[in-house]
Amino acid sequence: MLGFFMRRLGDVIPTFFGVTILVFLMIHLIPSDPIQMMAGERGVDPERYAELQKEYGFDQPLVVQYFNYLGGVLQGDLGKSFVTKRPVIEEFATLFPATIELSVMGILFAVIIGLPLGVIAAIYRGKWLDHLTMSVSLTGYSMPIFWWALLLIMFFSTTLGWTPVSGRLSVFYYIEPTTGFMLIDTLMSDEKGAFISALSHLILPTIALGTIPMAVIARMTRSSMLEVLGEEYIRVARAKGLSPMRVIMVHALRNALIPVITVIGLQVGVLFAGAILTETIFSWPGIGKWIVEALNRRDYPTIQGGILMIAFVVMGVNLLVDLMYGVINPRIRYKR
Amino acid sequence: MTSQNTPSTAPEDAIDETMGKPPSPFMETWNYFRKNRGAYVGLIVIAIILFVAAFADVISPYDPILQDRTAFLKPPIWMDGADPRYILGTDAVGRDILSRLIHGAQLSVSIGVFVVIASMIAGIMLGVTAGYFRGWIEVGIMRLMDTMLALPSLIMAMAIVAILGPGLENAMLAIAIVQLPHYVRLSRASVVTELNKEYVIASQIAGAGHMRQMFINILPNCMAPLIVQGTLGISSAILDAAALGFLGLGAQPPLPEWGTMLAEAREFVGSAWWVITFPGLCILVTVLAFNLMGDGLRDALDPKMKR
Amino acid sequence: MALLEVKNLTVEFGSEDKPFRAVDSVSYSVDRGEVLGIVGESGSGKSVSSLAIMGLIDFPGRVTADSLTFDGQDLLTMAPSKRRAITGKDIAMIFQDPMSALNPCFTVEAQIMEALKVHEGGSKKQRRERTLDLINQVGIPDPKSRMTAYPHQLSGGMSQRVVIAMAIACQPRLLIADEPTTALDVTIQAQIIDLLLKLQEDSDMGLLLITHDLALVSEAANRIQVMYAGQLFESGPADSIFTAPRHPYTQALLEALPERSVGRDRLSTIPGVVPGQYDRPKGCLLAPRCRYANDHCVASQPEVTDFNGRDVRCFYPLDDQGLPTGQTNSQNVGETV
Repeated sequence: MLGFFMRRLGDVIPTFFGVTILVFLMIHLIPSDPIQMMAGERGVDPERYAELQKEYGFDQPLVVQYFNYLGGVLQGDLGKSFVTKRPVIEEFATLFPATIELSVMGILFAVIIGLPLGVIAAIYRGKWLDHLTMSVSLTGYSMPIFWWALLLIMFFSTTLGWTPVSGRLSVFYYIEPTTGFMLIDTLMSDEKGAFISALSHLILPTIALGTIPMAVIARMTRSSMLEVLGEEYIRVARAKGLSPMRVIMVHALRNALIPVITVIGLQVGVLFAGAILTETIFSWPGIGKWIVEALNRRDYPTIQGGILMIAFVVMGVNLLVDLMYGVINPRIRYKR
Repeated sequence: MTSQNTPSTAPEDAIDETMGKPPSPFMETWNYFRKNRGAYVGLIVIAIILFVAAFADVISPYDPILQDRTAFLKPPIWMDGADPRYILGTDAVGRDILSRLIHGAQLSVSIGVFVVIASMIAGIMLGVTAGYFRGWIEVGIMRLMDTMLALPSLIMAMAIVAILGPGLENAMLAIAIVQLPHYVRLSRASVVTELNKEYVIASQIAGAGHMRQMFINILPNCMAPLIVQGTLGISSAILDAAALGFLGLGAQPPLPEWGTMLAEAREFVGSAWWVITFPGLCILVTVLAFNLMGDGLRDALDPKMKR
Repeated sequence: MALLEVKNLTVEFGSEDKPFRAVDSVSYSVDRGEVLGIVGESGSGKSVSSLAIMGLIDFPGRVTADSLTFDGQDLLTMAPSKRRAITGKDIAMIFQDPMSALNPCFTVEAQIMEALKVHEGGSKKQRRERTLDLINQVGIPDPKSRMTAYPHQLSGGMSQRVVIAMAIACQPRLLIADEPTTALDVTIQAQIIDLLLKLQEDSDMGLLLITHDLALVSEAANRIQVMYAGQLFESGPADSIFTAPRHPYTQALLEALPERSVGRDRLSTIPGVVPGQYDRPKGCLLAPRCRYANDHCVASQPEVTDFNGRDVRCFYPLDDQGLPTGQTNSQNVGETV
């Protein structure tokens, strides 16, 4: 197990450095000068320019700059925002819980809907129910989620008035952020109804964000189930006289889940990409919206830091899933 | 042969029926493909979209950026208060939505096709080089690709656009770069497997040079997965381009790109459903069609790849 | 009355208008305490017929039979839940490849206890004790620690013992063993067969032993049934089939046994393969491979007939000297061997 862990770690480390190099180079690939950019229309006088260059270390050779940058990153220093002048890592830390909350809900939605859909499709393979569920999942898979989110708002918020249009909580409540997770914070507070409000704010973003992972999970579950249902041990289980339900839920699903878990792990990247669009549309104060705003303001340290942190999170989750896979399926540990 | 006259007794008839002449690879693939109803529908939809895109100027009733100051936000013709000249209504500055959608098809199709072709050519070059020469070239290329894959594709594309500046061309370039790792990985993997096969060794002995080996002997045998990936790549390119357009990083107004149209229409989410519904529907249908065809192609070209 | 009665069992796959008959009107019966051996090459339909008895043929496969009864109960018309109560309890089956017959996600103990739980209930403690008994009974050393092992930690022979323990957990009255030793090392094969026969004798089970190994059935079975391309070719008591085969196919199979080639330069073989879905001959299915086949054999198909007290599907059953009867010399005899 330790060997497996070390090998996986060995794969991740070069990628880690690769990502830092790419992100570091970003600012030097911009056609114009970052300091000019920061100064904007007003421009900057030569004296101040030299000062700023020194401050940001742009006067040093590229390699030295990279190692300074890397040193900073390893110590948790991602630089300061051009706009707010606050450390990027601090802003990230404040906003990240909102994105985690949304992502966790999204993946829960995806699993709760996607798994049963996949199982049903596999059981009724070739029948209309299979075609229906797979049509639904392929449509979900092809969905432009920014449009999907707008449709949801149009239908449930503006037409039916069931759910709020944007934000995390109704303005009637004020909740002191303790954990940063609105559902937990509202539960711990004395404000009655705040939890319900937080939950209702989550519903549409969750659906919008969870749709693509849901489709992917449904498709993967179906194909994995079909593969497992063709295995000899399923026949053996049936030969024991077990009910079809038990054969499927106990013997098939347990084995079929192993590859599905990997796929769920791989959806983290998809979730972050989706979070950018979803948060923008629902004005959800998370890192997705933060990065889009930074892009529009050309706030390069924030863009760099945000992208780097997302890459780290995605890599970390993938590593975790790989390790989990090793635990669930002991036979895999020694392969690859 | 007289078997035609006495069909019932001749045993070779039975053999003729089942063995026959082996179908050509193309026909075999086509026969598989045709049996897949979803893929077939996808192909027809794509044909329609291609037709619309090709003849956009002829089909579309109006100029897509022509503003009619007498008809702002007119609903489609089946609704009350519609302007009969505009079938799917008009947007906030009085442009005909149908014309914009038709020209949007042209944009989306060319985005998808150009992105995939560019990305595929570059990806195949890199992948074949990595797989053929191995050693540090391979390590370098593949590490770079792994690093690129560590970032979610949309975020990576956004970062590239942030460097290059917003705009349709830059967005396309960004998406092409983002898709690169898939083609590199696929072509490298295929080359590595093919490289050990006898025919490659045989032609090496026969004196084939590196270029001939890489692109004439090996590459054609790796095309099937690349074609599948390319088809699916078109759908994700269209989707990503629309997303970038929606975020204001892709095609800029007044270009009738579907994602950009949605971005402009966002504020009417409570008042004018048609400006929001139609562009998104076009994206969905186009992406769905390419996905259906890609799935069908995968099943038809390589039954082993069936998941 | 026999324990298991199969009359004209047919299993078809494929479309209704162009079906492929994997099993073609096969009849047999197994009594309690009896071992029936079914012999045939791969593709002869022997496994499919046993799956049909277990009710494991799925759509699009179609099972039909004049009668398929177990202990007087008709298995085909029975409600599915009632049939499930019999399968796994009164009729159990052992499969060919033990390594893939065990679910990789569950321990040995869990998989054996499952059948007990479904069919006999009882407390968890009782089931665990019974499982320990079973594991002992099938000769697994160090049963206590093996109970909690996962399948991938077991060797092939051990796995097959676990599969057998699983099958006999509810003391079945009929055990179907489908090539129980094919996937195992030669050294283990005899042990497993001995174990099966001992279990069969101890509990007076009926045993349906399906194999392509003639030498194996000759020692184990009371009666033998030879199948070819889904059809019954010959059946009768084990010893007489061996001393005097009536069907040319049986004769060829026996000649192909390595033991019978002692003193010869090379092993005797049967040329060709069992016909599949697309190359079924019009006449006798064996005709292309039969050394005695003539035009009549190629043109039409023989029925199963009684010949000296044995069921044989051949126009010219062999006599005690191993030569075809009723064939005139003037007919064209195609020598293929």
